[in-house]
Amino acid sequence: MDINTRPKIIGARVQRREDPRLLTGNGAFVDDRQVPGMLHLAFRRSDFGHAKILKIDTEEAASMPGIIGIYTAETLNEITKPVIAFSNMKDYQATPIRALAQDVVRYVGEPVVVVVAENRYLAEDALNEIFIDYEPLENVVDPEYAASGDAVLVHEDLKSNILVAREFERGEVDEAMSSAAIRVKGRFRSRRKTAVAMETRSYLAEFEKSSQSLTLHSSTQIPGIIRDALVDILDIPGHRLRVVAPDVGGGFGGKASLYPEEIVVTALSKLLKRSVKWTSDRMEDLMSTSQAFDEIIDAELGLDSEGNLLALSADVLGDVGAYSIYPWTAALEPIQVVSFMPGPYRLANYRGKVRGVATNKPPTGPYRGVGRPASTFVMERLMDMAAGKLGMDPAELRLKNFVVGDEFPYRIGSGIVWDKSEFSECLNKATEKLDYETLREKQRIARSQGRLMGIGIASYAELTGIGSRISAAPGMPINTGTETARIRVDSSGSVIAYFGVASHGQSLETTLAQVVAEEMGVKVEDVEVVLGDSAVMAHSTGTYASRSAVLAGGAGTLAARAVREKIVEAASLLFEVPAEEIDVYDGLIHVSGTNRKMDLRELARAVYSEMGRFTKEVRENLDLEATKLYDPYFGTTTSASHIAVVDIDPETFKVKIEQYVVSEDCGRMINPLVVDGQVHGGVAQGIGAALYEEVIHDENGQVVTASLVDYLVPSSCEVPTIDVLHADTRSPSTIGGFRGMGEGGTIGAPAAIANAVADALAPFGIEINEIPISPERLYRLIEKARNSEKD
Amino acid sequence: MKPPIFDYVKVSTVEEATAILADSSKEAVVIAGGQSLLPMLNFRLAAPEILVDISGIEALKSLIERDNVVTIGAMTRHVDLGSSPIIARHFPVITKAVTHIAHLAIRNRGTIGGSLCHADPAAELPMMALLLNAELMVAGGKGPRTIAAKDFFQSALETDIQEGELLVSVSLPLLPPNTGWGFEEVSRKSGDFALAAVSAILVVNDGEISEARIAVAGVDETPRRMNGAEAMLRGKMLDDDHLTAVCETIQSEINPETDLQASSNYRRHLIGVLTARVLKDAFAGAGGIFE
Repeated sequence: MDINTRPKIIGARVQRREDPRLLTGNGAFVDDRQVPGMLHLAFRRSDFGHAKILKIDTEEAASMPGIIGIYTAETLNEITKPVIAFSNMKDYQATPIRALAQDVVRYVGEPVVVVVAENRYLAEDALNEIFIDYEPLENVVDPEYAASGDAVLVHEDLKSNILVAREFERGEVDEAMSSAAIRVKGRFRSRRKTAVAMETRSYLAEFEKSSQSLTLHSSTQIPGIIRDALVDILDIPGHRLRVVAPDVGGGFGGKASLYPEEIVVTALSKLLKRSVKWTSDRMEDLMSTSQAFDEIIDAELGLDSEGNLLALSADVLGDVGAYSIYPWTAALEPIQVVSFMPGPYRLANYRGKVRGVATNKPPTGPYRGVGRPASTFVMERLMDMAAGKLGMDPAELRLKNFVVGDEFPYRIGSGIVWDKSEFSECLNKATEKLDYETLREKQRIARSQGRLMGIGIASYAELTGIGSRISAAPGMPINTGTETARIRVDSSGSVIAYFGVASHGQSLETTLAQVVAEEMGVKVEDVEVVLGDSAVMAHSTGTYASRSAVLAGGAGTLAARAVREKIVEAASLLFEVPAEEIDVYDGLIHVSGTNRKMDLRELARAVYSEMGRFTKEVRENLDLEATKLYDPYFGTTTSASHIAVVDIDPETFKVKIEQYVVSEDCGRMINPLVVDGQVHGGVAQGIGAALYEEVIHDENGQVVTASLVDYLVPSSCEVPTIDVLHADTRSPSTIGGFRGMGEGGTIGAPAAIANAVADALAPFGIEINEIPISPERLYRLIEKARNSEKD
Repeated sequence: MKPPIFDYVKVSTVEEATAILADSSKEAVVIAGGQSLLPMLNFRLAAPEILVDISGIEALKSLIERDNVVTIGAMTRHVDLGSSPIIARHFPVITKAVTHIAHLAIRNRGTIGGSLCHADPAAELPMMALLLNAELMVAGGKGPRTIAAKDFFQSALETDIQEGELLVSVSLPLLPPNTGWGFEEVSRKSGDFALAAVSAILVVNDGEISEARIAVAGVDETPRRMNGAEAMLRGKMLDDDHLTAVCETIQSEINPETDLQASSNYRRHLIGVLTARVLKDAFAGAGGIFE
C-alpha cells in the first residue's frame, strides 16, 4: 500500500483494550489481590479537629481475638522517618507528615492508632476498645480566621498558619484600573471538594521472605514517587522495594499523593515480615483522601468602553488543610488559581496575591484541574459581568479579547506562556454548533413566558505536558518533566512497551499502544503495554497534570522509532538490500517493490536464536530494544470553550442542564473515543463542582459529609448529553503534536454552568459568586431579590 | 465499615420467623432486602445478635386483588411493585412514587415491608401507605393484628411493630370512581432522599371535591396526612385562591428541620409549590376543571 494512503493508527477510534476485562469483572485491583497469610489493618482516626493526645490505652483491644498487634506513633514513628514536602518558594513553611499522628491531631479522620488483625472484621471490633485521652485545642476551621493571626497555630512550631504566600504584578495595575470605563468585581467562593474515585484507596504490601523484599501494590497515580519516598522513609534499598499500580479505579488527583496509610502498610510489612493490606472504606475516603477547590477569591477586572481588557487584580486565600501534602506542597492549588487567572486573554496589567492557609481539615492536594476550575470560574464570571455592563454579548467580548494569530507565543501576567492554540476557533465552533443567535432568541421568548433559561460560556487555557523547565507544582523541587519508554521485540517477536507512567482510567494501554504501533509499523493488537511498575524503569513519576499522552507518548514515539531503525537494519542485512528499501508496515517487514517479506517473529528468531545468521560483530550490536527519555521542556497549551444551556425551575430552583457543548483544542488526537470519554468524565466532575459537591466541616472541624447521602456526586441522571468538538491542531511544542487533555472538562464546566445560572437569573439581577450552586443557595438569593423588589 | 459479629437464620415460614423474633434471650432483627439494614450494620449503628432472613418465605411475596382490596406481601420488591399491572391500574400514584425510590439496583432488592418498617420520614412508601389508608397486617406477638397506617408510623425510624411481630402484608382499599392523583418530589439528585414530597388523591363528583387526601414526606418526624387542608377541600371546587389558601394552611402545619441539604424555610416553600402542583394534577385527573 502506498505509504501516504495507509490508514493511520494515531487518530483512529480504536476500542479500549481495557474494557473487556473491566466490564466483565476481570480487572485486577489492589483489593482483588489475595496473598496467603496476609494481615489486615483498621485505623482508629481522630474524632477531634485539633487536640493534644494525652494517653492511648490499647491494652484491652490487644487481647481481643485475632489481634496481631496495635501500633501508635510511639511504636511506628520510631521506624519511619517524617516526610517533608519541600519547596523552593520564598517564605514557604513545610509541615512534616508522620505515619501516625504524633502528640497532636490536626483534622478529624487523621490516623492515630493502627490495629493489625487476621481480618478486617476483627480489626474493626478492636477499634472500639481503644481509649484515647485528648486535650481539645482551638479548632481552626474558618480560613480567614486561620490567616488572621488571632487563631492558634495549627502547627505550633511554625511562625503563622500561612504556609505559602506570593505576590506579583505585571504592568501598572492601579493606573490601568482607575482609567477603566467599566469595572466589575466580586468576592468569589469555591467550596471544598474531594475526588470520590469509584475504587477507594487500597494498599497491599507483599512481603517476599526469600528475598526479604517488599512489593507495594498501591492504588496510586504515582508509583515512582511513592517508591522513592518510601525508600527514604523506611531506609531500605530501592531494589528491595517495588511499587506497582495495578488496575486503578479512578484517581482524579486523589491518588496522586503519598498517604500516611501507605507508609503504615509498608512499614508494618517490613516490621512483621508479613503481607499487609488495607482498603479504605467510603467514610474514611471522604474524611482522609486529599481535598481541593477550597478558595476565597477577591477579584476585579477593568475594561475600556470598547470592551478591551485593561487590568485584573486577584487576591486568593486557599484553605489548604492541616498539612502540606507530599510531594506537591500546599502551594499546589492556591498558586495555580492566581497564576492561571488571566486566562486566554490579551491583558497587559495583572496583579496577583495569594496565600495558602493551614486549617484543621484534611490536607488538600491535586484534584482534576488543580486551581484552574476556580480561576476560570472567577475570570469567566467577571467577563460575563463585564459583558452585562457593556451591553455586549458574552461571546463577542471573549472573541474581542482572545490572544490570536501572531500574538503567540503569549506571556500572561503571571509569567505563563501560551503556545499557539485555537482560542477563537474553539468558541466559534461551539456557538455555531448551538446556533447561538437562535438560542439567544429562544431565550428571549422563554423569558417572556416566565421561564428561567440561561446560556453560559466559559473559555480557558491551561498548560499541559509540562517538561523539566518548570515543576508540575509551583516550587516543588522534584523533576516531573521527563518520562521514559522502553520498547523491546523479544525472541518470540512480541512487542512489549514499558512505561513508568500509571493508568487509572485514562486508557493509556490503548493510546500508547496506538502510538507505538504506528511509529514502529506494527499492528496495534501486537503491542503489549506495561504500565505503573517501579521495577521496570530507572525513573518515573506517574500520571497527573495532563502529562502522560504528551510525555509517555513522546518517549514511546522516540523508542518506537529507534526500534524500527534496528528492525530495518537487521532486515537489510537479512535481505541483503540497502536499508532504504526496507519497509515496515502492519507487522510485516518488506523489501519495497518486491514480494520479499518476513514477519516480526521470523526476524526476531533470526536476530536472537538462529545460529550463523549474523557475524559476531553485528550480533553484539544488534538487539531489538530501545530506551528513550522525553522531555518537552516547557510543555504546551490546551484550550477550550464550553457552553452550557440551563433551565431553572422558577419555583423549586432545581437547575437542569439542557444542552452542553465542549469545543476543545487538545492538539493531535491519538484516539477520539478516548478524548471524548475524558471530556465527558471531566465535565461530569465539573457539574459536581458547579451544582452538587461540597465537603462540609462544622465549627468543631467535624466532617458532616461523611457518606454519599450527604456528599452529593452527580450520577448519569444529572449529566446531560455532551457534544464534543475538536480543533485537532498539532501542538508546535511536543513530539507527535499531542496536547494534554485529561483535566479540561473539569476546568470549564463550573464556570460555564455558573454563568448559565447567572444568565438565567439576570432578570432578578442576581450574580453567582459561590459554587456549588445548591437549590438552597438559589432559594436564598432569589427570595432576597424578590423581597428587595417588593421594598 | 464491617459489621460486628451476628448469627444469621434463613427461615421459610412466618411462624419460624416470629418464634425467633419472640425469643427475648437474643436480639433479633428481620432482614428482607437489606438496603437500609446492611449500611446500618456496616456503620455499626445497629448490632443485633441474629438476622432473620425472611426472603425465603413464599407466602410474603404475593400481590393480589380481591374484594375491592389489593393486598401486597411484605417481601414484594420495589421493582415488582413498580411494574405490577394491578398497581398501575388501581394505584398509579404508587407506580409513580416507586420511580423516586433510590436507584434501580436498590429497587431490585428493597421491599415494601422493609421500607415501611424502617420508617424513614423521607421515604416514599410510608407516605403512600398513609395516603392510601393502608392497613398493615402483622403476625406473631399476641396474635395477628391489623394496624392502620396512621397509627403505624410513630416517629423517625419508629413504628408500632412490637417485639415478636412481623409485618406480613399491606392492604389497600380500592379508590372510588372519579379519582385523580398527584405525586411530586424534589431531591438534590435523582434517587436521593426527598427534600420534600407531596402526594394527593382527590375524588370529584359534579365538579366538587367529595374526598381529599394529602400526604407529605421529608418534612417531619413521620410522613403526615394534612387533615386541615383536606377538610378545606371537601365540598369545594379548586380555583387559584382556594389553592393558595390550602397550600398556606399546609405550610403553617408542618415544621420541617434544617439539615445539610435544605433549610426549614426552603422545605416549607417546596411543600407549598409541590402541593399546588399535585392538587392541580389530581383535580384534573378526577375530571375537575380548574378555574
